[in-house]
Amino acid sequence: MLEQKMFYDSGNELAAYAAKQINYHVMGYYPITPSTQIAENLDLMGAKGEHDIKLIAAEGEHSAAGICYGASAGGGRVFNATSANGLMYALEQFPVQSGTRMPMVMNVACRTISGPLCIKGDHSDIMYLLNTGWIILFADEPQMVYDMNLLGLKLAEAVNLPVAIAFDGFFTSHQKRRCLVFANDADVQKYIGPKMASDNQNISSLAKDSATGENCFYSVLDLAHPISVGSYMNEPDVINNRYQMHLAMEEARKKLPGLFEEYESISGRLLHLCSGYCHEDAEILLFILGSSYHTAMEAVDLLRKEGIKAGVITLYVLRPFPAEELRGLCKNAQVIIAADRQDSYGAGGGNMSLELKAALQSCNQEQCRRKKVLTRIYGLGGRDFFVEDAVSMLKEGLSENAKEFDYYGVTEGVDGKKQPQYFKPLTKEDTTLGLTTCIFDEKTKKMNVTGGNLRELTAMPKRIAPGHGACPGCGIFVNLNLLLKGIEGNVVFLFHTGCGMVVSTGYPKTAFRVPYVHNLFQNGPATLSGLVEVFHQRQKRGEYPQGEITFIMVSGDGGMDIGMGSAIGTALRGHRMIIFEYDNGGYMNTGYQLSYSTPKGAKSSTSHVGKAQYGKTFFHKDTPEIMSATHIPYIATVSESNPTDFIKKAAKAGAYAKEFGTVYVKALSACPLNWNDKPNLERSVIGGAVDCCYFPLYEIENGITTLSYDPEKAGKKIPVTEWFGMMGRTKHLVKEEYKEVTESIQSEIDRRFARLKARAESPLL
Amino acid sequence: MEQYTLPVTNENGYFEIRLESIGGLGANLSGKMLGELGANELDFNSLSFSSYGSEKRGSPVKAYVRWCAKEKPLRINSPVTHPHILGIFHAGLIGTYPVLDGVSADTKIILNTPLAADEAAEKYAISLGELYCLDALSVAMECKSRVNMVMLGAIAKASGFIPLEAVQKICRETLGKKYPALLEANLNGMKNGYDSVVKATAEHDFAPMPSGKNETFIWGYKNAPIGGINTRPGSTVSNDLSASREGYIPLFLPEKCINCGLCDSTCPDLVFQFGKGVYKGKEGMVNNGLDYYHCKGCLRCVAVCPTGALVSALERDYPKKPHFMPNQDLLPDAISYQETGANSWVTSDSPSTVARPDTGSMEVQE
Repeated sequence: MLEQKMFYDSGNELAAYAAKQINYHVMGYYPITPSTQIAENLDLMGAKGEHDIKLIAAEGEHSAAGICYGASAGGGRVFNATSANGLMYALEQFPVQSGTRMPMVMNVACRTISGPLCIKGDHSDIMYLLNTGWIILFADEPQMVYDMNLLGLKLAEAVNLPVAIAFDGFFTSHQKRRCLVFANDADVQKYIGPKMASDNQNISSLAKDSATGENCFYSVLDLAHPISVGSYMNEPDVINNRYQMHLAMEEARKKLPGLFEEYESISGRLLHLCSGYCHEDAEILLFILGSSYHTAMEAVDLLRKEGIKAGVITLYVLRPFPAEELRGLCKNAQVIIAADRQDSYGAGGGNMSLELKAALQSCNQEQCRRKKVLTRIYGLGGRDFFVEDAVSMLKEGLSENAKEFDYYGVTEGVDGKKQPQYFKPLTKEDTTLGLTTCIFDEKTKKMNVTGGNLRELTAMPKRIAPGHGACPGCGIFVNLNLLLKGIEGNVVFLFHTGCGMVVSTGYPKTAFRVPYVHNLFQNGPATLSGLVEVFHQRQKRGEYPQGEITFIMVSGDGGMDIGMGSAIGTALRGHRMIIFEYDNGGYMNTGYQLSYSTPKGAKSSTSHVGKAQYGKTFFHKDTPEIMSATHIPYIATVSESNPTDFIKKAAKAGAYAKEFGTVYVKALSACPLNWNDKPNLERSVIGGAVDCCYFPLYEIENGITTLSYDPEKAGKKIPVTEWFGMMGRTKHLVKEEYKEVTESIQSEIDRRFARLKARAESPLL
Repeated sequence: MEQYTLPVTNENGYFEIRLESIGGLGANLSGKMLGELGANELDFNSLSFSSYGSEKRGSPVKAYVRWCAKEKPLRINSPVTHPHILGIFHAGLIGTYPVLDGVSADTKIILNTPLAADEAAEKYAISLGELYCLDALSVAMECKSRVNMVMLGAIAKASGFIPLEAVQKICRETLGKKYPALLEANLNGMKNGYDSVVKATAEHDFAPMPSGKNETFIWGYKNAPIGGINTRPGSTVSNDLSASREGYIPLFLPEKCINCGLCDSTCPDLVFQFGKGVYKGKEGMVNNGLDYYHCKGCLRCVAVCPTGALVSALERDYPKKPHFMPNQDLLPDAISYQETGANSWVTSDSPSTVARPDTGSMEVQE
């Protein structure tokens, strides 16, 4: 046995710790709850210099999977972590990775798939992985997450297939437990062994592929033995490639018991394909995955005290599916309650109960095939599973009349007193007050705007109701309020996933007084494109009354990272709508991971500050400049510190979006929670960003750039360090030791501003 | 290592702790620290977790800790329903959230309140369990510590078996490395929490304890619109967000107001009720007051007001808020407010919501 030490850690922390000990070459990832802490913890350890893993924050899970693929093709050890819709977004890549036989490890902190959007745990995501050719291990407690992360990599590299290590989001990913980890990283690395690659000069002899006699540790970086990865392949070859995958999966099945034994010899902990508690003589069994297994054991103890021969069984390896071993656990049971934390709608069960049924059916013993399997879909969207729930499921299973399939824990609702209507729907007249007016000047190709008086604009009815759940002092609703003050007439919203969406539409309530759609943030602009065009189509066909609507898409800077492609596509097509970005410089909804708009040097939960790292390592994204290359009619940057300018630009944006095409408006938006500053002072912090030219105010109207405010001319220009000093997230940069970093930021800001000015001064640019 | 035994356990053999708070007060960190305390200092088998959601300040948060003898496996992953120790970090939650649910005669309730213990018992009708009270906010302010550290000290004292030194040791290990400069203040906060918590002694015979909100209409699979579609525009207006304030309110002094509208341009919570009126003899929009149901106390308005017509005040000094004007767009008689935190399903697991070196939320006032 190797030396071990005790930790008090969660599943996510242990996955990260295992990765640190393995010292993977590359982690490609995109933060998504509840798996995010894995990358966060690795970044924290990286900042302290505790590992050499190159952590790459992709702009979406699809790209994260691509990063992993490329790194694996180059002979690297590769790590990933994801959940829910992140897994779905990357889904297309998983068969690519397994089909071209790239060993890698991905942790899946299981979470329910949207929509409606929910961040809590169930197994609807992981079951999508069943047909991808990935090996799938399922841990039921934090200790097992650690163990499987070590053993899983070894398995992946032994059979050249990628391995997913799944565990319950929140229940296992976030719950802290006592657990044991190997005391020395070197022991872990020795256990795993060196990464085999045909171009690795440090490895003298490489194992040979049993079929071809060639070594199978291909690397795209092996210049002496050039290979082509990703052939164009048709019949009759594809079926052979798939059969090789099948054989590899069977090879994994053969290797697992030996790997378990070996791991037990170094750790003292024996892993299993599947396992049971009081199952030997049980007449009724509960079959359940993940953290619920332990809770169910308590229920079994209670039922045994009542004289009921109950038991519980669970599965730790989903692929390759251990049908024979699972059947062995069910020997004496007459009834098995298969509790699924997801449904394969219309199939009569979740995937695990379907596979259990298939496993029993494929048995050659009649008695095995006669067992009654009752499916219960439970715990969806993270609904808690108490001991009483397990007791009640098992007791119900004893009844002769128990349904073969049912949902456990649904509620039909209560029809109490009629729900009030809180507001009258806002009419066009209510919101057309003439407080701003826009007239397009054909000669100058500019929109002339008048109005914008703050006092008069208090008359504009609010399209968003109070009572939303944003943090005290949050900038999002300040910016939305200012934007909407400048938009007269009917409004329809589309919101990307993000803080603005989560705090305004927490079921069963909504803050929106006007129509609203949410879509996940890879796809908002495209979704609104469809809505805009059906509006025009239906008007054209006489199905919908004439009149105007201002369509507004609202996104955070995160949605403009992962959804950049969709935004550019929409802008190039020119649908008549506003894309409004509130840029708070981070993925705040999930606990402040870096976004591409986070200032360089800022600390975030994926850009920690430590001896080996000073915060985020690259410059803030210049989204307006990216959008300007699409040559849409109107682009503007706005800030709450210049409210009148903000509202006038909003009015112009509305006018352009109604008549001319796509409009992009970006506001810098304060986040007191994660900027770590005082909520009451946010307007001056935003002003600081404008005055240091980090966030210049300008507009691009039909290709002509106009500077709205020049801090140099106004005599208000401040160094960027002064702005950094206002926020906890950047305060460290003011220190002398970060001078080089801040100088690089200052010169980049100055360069961008000088370029902007030159463009504003030249009629051609 | 010294041997500790649990004074009491439930029928499954566990000792259970639940902390009730709002995001930003650090209950999540307290839960983690108690979990570590159990595992590392008291040598129990221990687990800890929080209610989870998006990361927002000012919303209700629960943290759970479960302890048992070291040899016993910890097999229950579900939330704590019948706590032996119930820490309530924010008294405003009582009566509006079911924070007192599951309390029994065995429960020790540690409540952060400026009231004396017996007064609090009466006000909140706490008749079951042992009630321990302290003004954790004031103690924290005096010690330049945080509510969560003070509460941890109080919890240790009330538990009857957790030594102050053990919690302080965990504090050293958890916060000492991260924020060494704040360590002494936090240790002192813990000690003062330990020393100042007072047990209610009077005999009580109150009606059953309040148990959260009772909705008269609930959407379920039979009556909810398909697809999660929400057919109730603007319904968040029925949230009463008072509980997310952390001690301060903006106070309106109309005689100083010039009706410039800057407050309405900076308020994230759409609190200001402007309407047609007369100012200095001229017709125009005038500020009629503030909708305190939705004010989260960020004090942005105070910072931008050019004339001092909005000033910061301690909420406890204004039990009746002057110029309180509910939302004027509401249809008449439509509303009964539901007190809630910022987001009814939200909590915090973000490191930035724990003890923060620069900007403790209670220091908002300049």
